[in-house]
Amino acid sequence: MIPAMAKITFSLAFLLCVIIKCNGVSVDTISDDIRLKNVDRHIDISSQLVKITSKITLENAGQKPAKNFLYAVESTAKNNLAFVGVKDNNNRDLRLVETTVKGHDGVKFWRVELKEPINAASSLVLTAESVYTKSLLPYPTAITQQEDQLVKYNGNLYFFTPYPVTSQKTSVAMITKAVESFTKVKPFSQQDGTILYGPYSNTGPFTEKELSVHYKNNSPFLTVTRLERLIEVSHWGNIAVEEKIEIEHTGAKLKGPFSRYDYQQDHHSGPASVRSYKTLLPASAADVYYRDTNGNISTSNMKVKKDSVELDLRPRYPLFGGWRSHYTLGYNVPSYEYLYHSGNEYLLKMRVVDHIFDDMQIDELITKIVLPEGSTNIKINTPYSVTRLPDSLHYTYLDTKGRPVITFTKTNVVENHIQDFQLRYTFPRILMLQEPLLVVGFLYLLFLCVIIYVRLDFSIHKSEHPHKE
Amino acid sequence: MPATVAGKPVNGPNKGLFQNTAGFSTLITVTVLTLAWLAGFASRLFAVIRFESIIHEFDPWFNYRSTAYMVQHGFYNFLNWFDERAWYPLGRIVGGTVYPGLMITSGTIHWLLHTLNIPIHIRDICVFLAPVFSGLTAIATYLLTSELWSRGAGLFAACFIAIVPGYSSRSVAGSYDNEGIAIFALQFTYYLWLKSIKSGSVFWSICTALSYFYMVSAWGGYVFIINLIPLHVFVLLIMGRFSQRLFVSYTVFYIIGLLLSMQIPFVGFQPIRTSEHMAASGVFALLMAIGAMKYLHSLNPKGQWKQLLIVGGLVAAALVFIMVVFLTYMGVIAPWSGRFYSLWDTGYAKIHIPIIASVSEHQPTTWSSFFFDLHVLVCTFPVGLWYCIKNVNDERVFVALYAISAVYFAGVMVRLMLTLTPVVCILAGIAFSILLDLVLKEDEIIMTPSEPEESRNLYDKAGKVKKRTQEPPPPADAVLGMNVRSGTLIAFMILLMLFSVHCTWATSNAYSSPSIVLASYGNDGSRKILDDFREAYGWLSQNTAEDARIMSWWDYGYQIAGMGNRTTLVDNNTWNNSHIALVGKAMASNESAAYEIMSMLDVDYVLVIFGGAIGYSGDDINKFIWMVRIAEGEHPRDIHEADYFTERGEYRIDSEASKTMLNCLMYKLSYYRYDSGGSPPGYDRTRGSLPGNRGFKLTYLEEAYTSEHWLVRIYRVKKPDEFNRPRIPLAKRTIPTSNAVSKKTSKRRKGLLKNKPTIVKGKKVGRLE
Repeated sequence: MIPAMAKITFSLAFLLCVIIKCNGVSVDTISDDIRLKNVDRHIDISSQLVKITSKITLENAGQKPAKNFLYAVESTAKNNLAFVGVKDNNNRDLRLVETTVKGHDGVKFWRVELKEPINAASSLVLTAESVYTKSLLPYPTAITQQEDQLVKYNGNLYFFTPYPVTSQKTSVAMITKAVESFTKVKPFSQQDGTILYGPYSNTGPFTEKELSVHYKNNSPFLTVTRLERLIEVSHWGNIAVEEKIEIEHTGAKLKGPFSRYDYQQDHHSGPASVRSYKTLLPASAADVYYRDTNGNISTSNMKVKKDSVELDLRPRYPLFGGWRSHYTLGYNVPSYEYLYHSGNEYLLKMRVVDHIFDDMQIDELITKIVLPEGSTNIKINTPYSVTRLPDSLHYTYLDTKGRPVITFTKTNVVENHIQDFQLRYTFPRILMLQEPLLVVGFLYLLFLCVIIYVRLDFSIHKSEHPHKE
Repeated sequence: MPATVAGKPVNGPNKGLFQNTAGFSTLITVTVLTLAWLAGFASRLFAVIRFESIIHEFDPWFNYRSTAYMVQHGFYNFLNWFDERAWYPLGRIVGGTVYPGLMITSGTIHWLLHTLNIPIHIRDICVFLAPVFSGLTAIATYLLTSELWSRGAGLFAACFIAIVPGYSSRSVAGSYDNEGIAIFALQFTYYLWLKSIKSGSVFWSICTALSYFYMVSAWGGYVFIINLIPLHVFVLLIMGRFSQRLFVSYTVFYIIGLLLSMQIPFVGFQPIRTSEHMAASGVFALLMAIGAMKYLHSLNPKGQWKQLLIVGGLVAAALVFIMVVFLTYMGVIAPWSGRFYSLWDTGYAKIHIPIIASVSEHQPTTWSSFFFDLHVLVCTFPVGLWYCIKNVNDERVFVALYAISAVYFAGVMVRLMLTLTPVVCILAGIAFSILLDLVLKEDEIIMTPSEPEESRNLYDKAGKVKKRTQEPPPPADAVLGMNVRSGTLIAFMILLMLFSVHCTWATSNAYSSPSIVLASYGNDGSRKILDDFREAYGWLSQNTAEDARIMSWWDYGYQIAGMGNRTTLVDNNTWNNSHIALVGKAMASNESAAYEIMSMLDVDYVLVIFGGAIGYSGDDINKFIWMVRIAEGEHPRDIHEADYFTERGEYRIDSEASKTMLNCLMYKLSYYRYDSGGSPPGYDRTRGSLPGNRGFKLTYLEEAYTSEHWLVRIYRVKKPDEFNRPRIPLAKRTIPTSNAVSKKTSKRRKGLLKNKPTIVKGKKVGRLE
C-alpha cells in the first residue's frame, strides 16, 4: 500500500512539474497599447543586496482593456535576480508568470496578471520590487585589516521595460557620503548618501545605459553558502527545527596579517569584518542550541521579546573577507501554532526559510520536513517554485518502518522568500498508540523472559547443594 | 555513600538477622550494586553539567577521531587506515599502532543503538563510555572481592571503586581514554583468574584468556596482567602450593591468552619477542617441568623423589632463566623498552628519554597525592592486606602480590596510581567488612560482659593501622561492649561520610576540567568561558587550505587533527623522537634557522600557545625548556640547554634573559605584538614580568590569527617571494642592457637563439621611468 501511495505522490509531483514546465514556455507579445507615464525608481545599495523598488504609472493608450502587462529584467542582471514581486495600489500581490517574447531571447520576462483590467485611456499605479544578490562587487578585491571596503555597483540608468516611458526618475541610496566615483548623466544631484538621477523624459523600450557607483560599504557581506533546514513534526505537541548553516564573508578578501592587537585596541579596526549578527526566531521558540562540530559555541546571547526570540550570535572568530564558518542552530516550537487538523487530515503551515540575519542572501537552501511515521497522502504547496527532491525515509527513536521526509531545494534566496508553505497529509490517529505499545510490549517480554528464566532450571548438571550460595 | 550504608547488614555470612534468605540478600546485592553504578556514573558528570558533552584533553581527541573514522568507514578500513594527517611527511599507520579495544567497544555500542533506531551521536557515546564502564568496574570488583573474602566485602569494594578519585580521575565523562575501559577489563580478568584457579576448570581459564584478550586490545597496561599472573604462579610454586588446578588454569590461560594477544596488530609478535613477556613463558616452562616431575613422583611416591623434585625444579628454573638471557643476548628477544626500564630506575628517563620525563603524569608520585586520590582507603587497606596474609590461601597470595607490586608502581609514576586504586579498594573493602562483622555480629549472640581492653585494641587497630599491624589481632570471637560497638560504628560512619565528601569534592574540583574549555570566575561569582582553543582550531579548520601543514609542539597534535582537521608534524603519539626534536629545534632556533627547518618540513602555519595575557600556566614558554632538552638530545651541536638560561642559571624571559632565549622562534612567536594584558602593557601575567625583547618584527612569518584571549597564536610561514625583498631604488631596477652587449666580442656573438624574440630597444626603460 505504501509503495503504491508513494508512486501516486511521485506521479502527481511529476504531473505538477510538467504543468509548471508548460507554463514556463508560454510565449507572449509586447502590446503596443501600454506605455508608462511615470516611473519612480529607488535603488537601495546600502547593504550587500541591491533592492530596487519602482513605482510605475501604467497607462492604456489602446482601445481594449488590458488584462496584463510584461515586466522585464535585462540580460546582464537576470542571473543575480533573487526575487521579483509586483503590488497594486491596494498593496495586494499580483500573480507573476514567467514568459518569453520572440526576438528578445536574452531578456527575462514576467507576465503580470492584473486583478482588474485597465480600461482604455485610464492609468494604474503599481509597485514593482526586485532584489539582486552578488551585484555589488568589492573593488579592490582585497583589503588590509584597517581599510574600508569599497564596492562597485553596475546597473542600468533607465528603467528596463518593453514599453516606452514618458518620464522617469531614479534615486540611488547608499547611506555613506564616501563615494569614489559615479556615473554623471545630467540632470543629477548628490545629496548626503543619495544620488538622484532624472527626470529623463521619453525613453524608448529596452533602453540600457550603464549606471556605475563606486563607494564605501562596510555593511556585512555575509553569504550563507548552504542552509539545510530540518523540520521534524511530532504529534505529541512539538516541532523541532534544526538549521545547519555554512557561512562565508564574501566581501573584499583580507590581505596580509590579522593583528589581534589592532583589533583589540582600536574599535574601528577591521571595519569590514563581521563580529556578530542577530537572528530572529519565532516567539515560541524554546530549547535553543547553537553549536558546531567541536561543540557548543559559547559566545551567544538570547533575548526573549514580545513577538520573537532574538539571538545575538557571535561566530567563534570575527569573519573577515574570505573567511568561513559553519554552525548548527536548533530549537523547538509547540505544534499547535503550526499544525492544524480535522479528523485524520493534517495541515502543516511553516516557513520555507527563516530569518538568519538582516539582508541575508542564501546560495543554496535545502528544506527537509520529517512527518510522523505512517503519514500518507502528502501534498505540498509552496509559495514560489522550488525543486522537489525525491522523498526519503528517516529513522529515529521507536521507528519501525521509517518516517517520510519531504525535501525541496531552492537557490538564491533572500529575505523576501520568508513565506509559509502548506503541507497536507493524512495520519490515522490510532497510530499514536504504536510507540507506547512498543515500549510496553518490550518490557512485558523482558519480564516474561526473566520470570521464565528464574522459575525454570536450565542446568545440565544437577547441583548437589541447591541452596549453597 | 547511601549505597555503602545499605550494604552493611548483608555482609558476613551470619544468618537470621533478616531471615536471611537467598532472595533477600540477592535483592540487597543488586540494589547496592545498582546504586553504586548510579553514584559512580553521576559523580563523573561534573564536566558535562558545568560545560557540555565534549571530549577532554589530548589523547581522547585522537581516540574520538579514530572512533569516528571507524564508525564511518567500517572496521577493516580502520585497521588499514593510513593517516596522512599525522607526522607529516611520514604519516601514521593507525590500525597497526593503536589498541583498538576502545574504538571497537564504542563502535559496537553505536552500531547496536543505531540498529535499534536510537540515533545517538558517536561523540555522546564516547563521552559517556567511561562513566558507564565505571559501573561495570564496580561489579567486577564486587565479584573479585567476593571470591577473595565475602560478599559484604565485595559490596564495600564496589562502592569504594565507584567513587574513589584515583579511578574517577581517568574516567570522568569526556575522558575517552583506554584506561576508562581497561580497569574494568583488568578487574574482570583477575576475577576470572581467581575463579579458574579456585575451580581448576578449563572453562574459567578460557574465560580468563578471553577477558585478557579484551584487555590486550584495550590498553598497553596488559603487561601488568601478563607479569602478575605468572608471578602469582611462581610464588605459589615456591610456597609449595602446586596443584592440578594451578597447572590446568595457568597452562590453558597462557596458551590461549598468548595466541589471542598476538591477534592485535599493534602487539603482533611482541609476546614471544620482548623481555616484558618473558616471565610468562618462563613460568610456563617451569610449570611444565614441575608438572612432569610431579608425574614422575606420583609413579613412585618415595622419599628420594622429594629432593629430586626440588633440585629438578631449581635446575629447570635456572635453565629457563639462562635461556631467556641467552636469547636476549642473541637478539632474538628484544631487551626491555625504555619506558619499562624507567619503572625500575626512576632516574633513567630523565637522562636518556627526556620526552618521557617531560610528561607530567610520568613524574614520581608525591605522598599527598596518595591521600588525595585514595583518602581513608590508603590508611585502611594494610588491614585488609594483613588479614589476607594471615588467612592465606591461593587467591589471597594473588591479592597480596597485586597490592605490593601496585604500591611500588604507583610510587614510581603518578599515572600508575590507576593500577593501585582497584586493589586498595578491594583490601579496604575487606578491612571494613571485617570490622563491621565484629561490631555488628553480637546482636544475635547472647551478651557477655564486654572486655574494654580488647575492644580498645581492635578499635585502635582499624584506625591507626599503620603503626600496629605487627600485633596479632584479637581473636575473631571477641565480644565487645554495646557502647564500644556503637562508638566504633559511628566513628566509621563518619569516616566513610568524610570519604564520600572528599571523593565528590576531588572529582569535581581536580578531575572534571575538560582543559580545552577554560572557565574563570569573576568577583560576583559570574562565570566567563574562555573558549580560545576551539576558536583557534575552528579557525584553522575553516580558513586554511585543506592540506595545510601545521607545526606545533606535540601536545597539541591530536587536538589540531581532531578539532582543526589539519595535517600536523608531530603529535601525542611521540613514536618518532627525532621528528619531535626537529620541531623542538625549529622552536629553539632563531628565525632564519627556523625558517630553513620549516621550509624543509613544508610547514604552512605555526601554532603556539601563549598564556601570558590571562595567566595560563600550561603554555609553550613554560614547556619550552623541554623542547630545548629534546632538541639538544638529537642536535647537540646546534642547541645547548645552557644558552637558554641566564648566567645564574635562571629561566626567565625579561630583559635579563639570555640572548638566545630572547631571539628564539618560540619567544618571538609568543610575544609578537603582545601589548595588551595587564598594566604596564605587555606584562606577562604567567611569568610575572615584562618581556625583554619587544617591538620586534617578523621576517619569515606573519600573524594569521590570534584568539580572543591570546591563548592560541597562529602564524603563517611566508613563501620565499613574500619576505625579505630589499627595497631597490627605481633607477637600479633597470638592467643596463647596452653595457652587456658592448662587452661581448664579435666572435662571441655567434650564438643562435631559437624563436628569437624581437626586442624593442629602450621601450621598457622608458616606461619604468
